Amino acid sequence: MKKSFLKKDYGIIRSFDLKNKTVKFLYFILLSGALLAVFIAIFPIIWTILSGFKDLKEFVNEPKIFPKSYHIGKFIETWKILNFGKFYINSFIVILGSIFFAVISNGLLGYTLSKIRPKGYKLINFLLLWSLMIPTTTSIVPLFINIVKIGLQGSFIPLWLSAGANAFFAILYKNFFDSIPQSIIEAARIDGCTEWSIFFKIVFPLSFPINTVITIFTITNAWSDFLLPYLLLNNTGKETVMVRLFQFRNSVATDVDIIRAVTFSIIPPIILFAFFQRYMMEGITKGGIKG
Amino acid sequence: MRNKYRKNIAGWLVMLPSIILFTFFLWEPLIASVIMSFYSAKGIRLEKFVGFQNYSEVIQHPDFKAAFSNTFAYTFWSIVIGFLVPIILAIIINEIIHFKGFFRLSIYLPNVIPGLAVAIMWLYIYKAGKTGLLNIILGNLGIAPQAWLTKSHLVIPLIVLFMTWRSAGATTLIYLAGLQGIDPELYEAASIDGAGLWARLRYITLPQIYNLARTLLILQIIFVFQVLYEPLVLTNGGPNNASTTLMLLVYKYAFEKFDYPKATSISVMIALILMMLTTLYNKIIKENEM
Repeated sequence: MKKSFLKKDYGIIRSFDLKNKTVKFLYFILLSGALLAVFIAIFPIIWTILSGFKDLKEFVNEPKIFPKSYHIGKFIETWKILNFGKFYINSFIVILGSIFFAVISNGLLGYTLSKIRPKGYKLINFLLLWSLMIPTTTSIVPLFINIVKIGLQGSFIPLWLSAGANAFFAILYKNFFDSIPQSIIEAARIDGCTEWSIFFKIVFPLSFPINTVITIFTITNAWSDFLLPYLLLNNTGKETVMVRLFQFRNSVATDVDIIRAVTFSIIPPIILFAFFQRYMMEGITKGGIKG
Repeated sequence: MRNKYRKNIAGWLVMLPSIILFTFFLWEPLIASVIMSFYSAKGIRLEKFVGFQNYSEVIQHPDFKAAFSNTFAYTFWSIVIGFLVPIILAIIINEIIHFKGFFRLSIYLPNVIPGLAVAIMWLYIYKAGKTGLLNIILGNLGIAPQAWLTKSHLVIPLIVLFMTWRSAGATTLIYLAGLQGIDPELYEAASIDGAGLWARLRYITLPQIYNLARTLLILQIIFVFQVLYEPLVLTNGGPNNASTTLMLLVYKYAFEKFDYPKATSISVMIALILMMLTTLYNKIIKENEM
């Protein structure tokens, strides 16, 4: 018996329990249960990617999990047919603008609520907490009408700006700024700094961790969002990747093209996850309890 | 005194742009929803005040009854399928010493995939005919291919199943954090007193995560009330309204029939239900803190 196997000083089962044969057996059942869960979690994704290697006949007729051949050329062909590069570029444009507004607008709001606290700030605080709970989808209709009224339909601008109005982000910023000592801010005020320059010159450079978290959340949100982008950008040539996926509902496309397009749409988030898994998973457990 | 006055002005000036954005994107639309639901309209232009007429017409429509009772079916199934799975997974992973990081990572993976992409993936998994993934797997066991999404009694559980597939990983991580917060000495003391594994689970682990589970249950119900794109993509609410939801009705009234007042009247009802659930949620959070 290896030593590492024996050391377990947390949870229900302890090292000394594992000396017992029944418990050891139970442990292996748990281990296989976890392996099964991993299989269930990953297999549909792998199947989707593998199916992209099939040709249409194979995909529609043959009940096989693995494709006959692995030619990456099929993916390239679909990429060209659907002109997917354009949708990637559009998604990137949406993401870049969204990051800018998500960081600046929610950051400034969080800063004000945490460090300036002007008269009436509690009301804003209260409104933010409530907005956290009422999902934006319930007011999608009047929002859409608002945007049409000011003539910004068919533009990226409303999508960028909407990232700047995220109650969850504003609260995350406020909580982060609460941990910055007020004395630093006061010192800067005495030196005659304006609130604006305090935020950009002193607070902002200290905010790298929270800015990273907000940026990652914004990228995932902007990449996955489709309802508002669909309503605003459908048939304008500015469709994002998700809007293009949603269009498959009404457009003619072969099954294999659709499933390859799904693969195109899931690869960037998986790459992002590979690089930033720690941030993404911590974000969930720390502040991520959200409707 | 003057200083204070300047602080207030400066503060409001700094957050003014953000407040404008929040008003435009969140707060005004919410109020506009309520107002619009009491009016008749031509396109986006309000015509005249009609009281509760939109509400009563919407409620009397058979689609509403289907959507309303389906919402309860979604909630029921999401509790049956989706509530226990993360708890069990978290307990298992917490007990395991080997490959812990790998388990956490791979269980979380479905969560990073965009919801719409997940829905389309599962459309092919549930595909009728012998080449859908589910039918391929069952075919190997000798079961004939089924047209899964056309079975009205199965369609909601099937949709909940893939919603669980996507979200269980994140919930599992939250429970794991809760399990890791349990004082190890509790287990130590219990085992010295001769408590077996089952007793430790029953009298230490479960009571310790009870509050967390209660909180997450409410959040889950709030989440289920907003189900929209899953049935929209997989079944469009069918077969025969068997999987339609309140949010899907909003979508159809607004963007297929362009009847905005009726759409907003359903939104308002959803928002009211969510507000009640939120109040309950906040009450529970407060109780937990005490």
